[in-house]
Amino acid sequence: MRQLAGRVSARAAVWGTLAVLLTWSLAPIAVMVLTSFKKRGDIFAVPARLFPSSWTFDNYQTVLTSSSMPQALLNSVIIGGLVAIATLLFCFSAGYALARFRFRSARPLALFILLGQMVPLTVVLLPVYQIVSSLKLLDTASGVAFAHLAITVPLVTWMVRNQIAAIPYELEEAVQIDGGSRFDAVSYVTLPVCAPGLAAAGMFAFLQSWHEFLFASVMATSTASRTAPVALTQFAGEFDVDWGATMAASVVLTVPIVILFMVMQRYFTAGLTGGAVKG
Amino acid sequence: MTHTTAVRTLRRRRSRPVLLVLPAAILTAVLMVIPIVTTIVRVVSDGGTGLSRLFDLPNVGQVFLNTLYWTVGSVAGGILLGYAGALVLQSRHLRLVGVWRSLLMIPWIIPGVVGATVWRWTLSTDYGILNQTLLDLGLVAEPVRWLSDPGIVLWAVALIQIWVTAPFVMLMVSAALATIPAERYEAARLDGAGSLAILRHIILPAIRPTTGICVLTLAVWALNSFTIIWVATSGGPAGASTILPILLYQAFQNGDQTLVSAVALVQVFIGAVFAVFFARTTRTDLEDQR
Repeated sequence: MRQLAGRVSARAAVWGTLAVLLTWSLAPIAVMVLTSFKKRGDIFAVPARLFPSSWTFDNYQTVLTSSSMPQALLNSVIIGGLVAIATLLFCFSAGYALARFRFRSARPLALFILLGQMVPLTVVLLPVYQIVSSLKLLDTASGVAFAHLAITVPLVTWMVRNQIAAIPYELEEAVQIDGGSRFDAVSYVTLPVCAPGLAAAGMFAFLQSWHEFLFASVMATSTASRTAPVALTQFAGEFDVDWGATMAASVVLTVPIVILFMVMQRYFTAGLTGGAVKG
Repeated sequence: MTHTTAVRTLRRRRSRPVLLVLPAAILTAVLMVIPIVTTIVRVVSDGGTGLSRLFDLPNVGQVFLNTLYWTVGSVAGGILLGYAGALVLQSRHLRLVGVWRSLLMIPWIIPGVVGATVWRWTLSTDYGILNQTLLDLGLVAEPVRWLSDPGIVLWAVALIQIWVTAPFVMLMVSAALATIPAERYEAARLDGAGSLAILRHIILPAIRPTTGICVLTLAVWALNSFTIIWVATSGGPAGASTILPILLYQAFQNGDQTLVSAVALVQVFIGAVFAVFFARTTRTDLEDQR
């Protein structure tokens, strides 16, 4: 009897803690989504209520038709795409070498790239700004993308290295025994085998760029290259904040990411924990 | 002849991997190392005027204290909540674990700007749902000025940082918990160990290395965090939530390059201390994996 009571209370404690954690994590999300459907008078109603008293799509219409948000979203997609492609090119070559070859400078080089992610972004803000400026790339998509490589290359090199190290080298040797070159082995065996992982790594780079605010806020100042996060702060930057439109824009910025994450979750978590925890 | 070809292939074998790593390494050098070197050179060639100006700022003591409190508070909160999440998800009483895990991950995967913006609205003094809920429950007598009361604002923004980073800890600890063999729990239960004893003698020791990595990562993130505070408060009111990266950004906006470099140098110094720790923890990793 006592054991049963203990089991019931343990179950209640577990579900109770979960409920608290879910409320804490999701309440702001609920506020975001529900506010985006509120009418203006409703938003500034006191006392504040979670649910709209009448639902409206006006805020989404404002964001998608009469703001710079669509252009900013397009800019973010272009920059994110550039970052993903460049990151994969750099990191596949580096990751392959670090996983497959034993050479004297391997460890210093690996540590060097890894330590890149320890460097505070604000520290390099001014010099990177000046480099991008001297390349005449300020306020262009490629300039922002170039700066974003500072964030993605160290992390993704590590992800790719671990993925390749997990593929048995015997697969490549088999190709070489059959008369293929090392290049054949990599392109016909290693690449296809780790393609899902590489896709996840590319997606990861895209997301990092999609999220990034610091570099983008100083390097992409005009509508032509401004990214979505920067555009979002401009909704909420002035004294008179249009909270309905801001929340609608936030939803537009978030929903594709959440869907993407849910689909790719397995690869993401594997890549992430693989970098830091022994795999 | 054969000898030289052998040497040549050997040399080629050796130089090729370096060439493959080189593009990524050069990129890291251009975007990270050269900037840091120029920062140091700039501060030194100024004869330290930037540094002395930084330490002569009237609120510099407060900025350092803010940075310390903010880092300690957000790391402690993130670790605690992340642990709670991981332990709950590990429980055998729970069903649909995958669904709950995905839902708890959402704060981490949404863009930081969005998170900070949404919290800014949720914490609004008059129209925010949090104050309204606290009032309805009778927990506070009047609305809390979360983001405009200098005594509270730093903890309020730390709350946002905790909200964003706790899922990362949860993920890492979950991964570490999954490596504990089930027999170890069974053996402990057979020996009559209760849940607390299992937590203390089996779970906590097994995830200690992960905890180290999480604390280090969270501390580095907090020390370098910019977006959340900037979007939520811009460092205000009256500098009450200004930490080092915010100070640097404000100097950047004012075009004060000397001050930017001075703050950057201080951040490099703090970062270097953490980098040494980080290199130590990952070194064993590198060696184990080969």
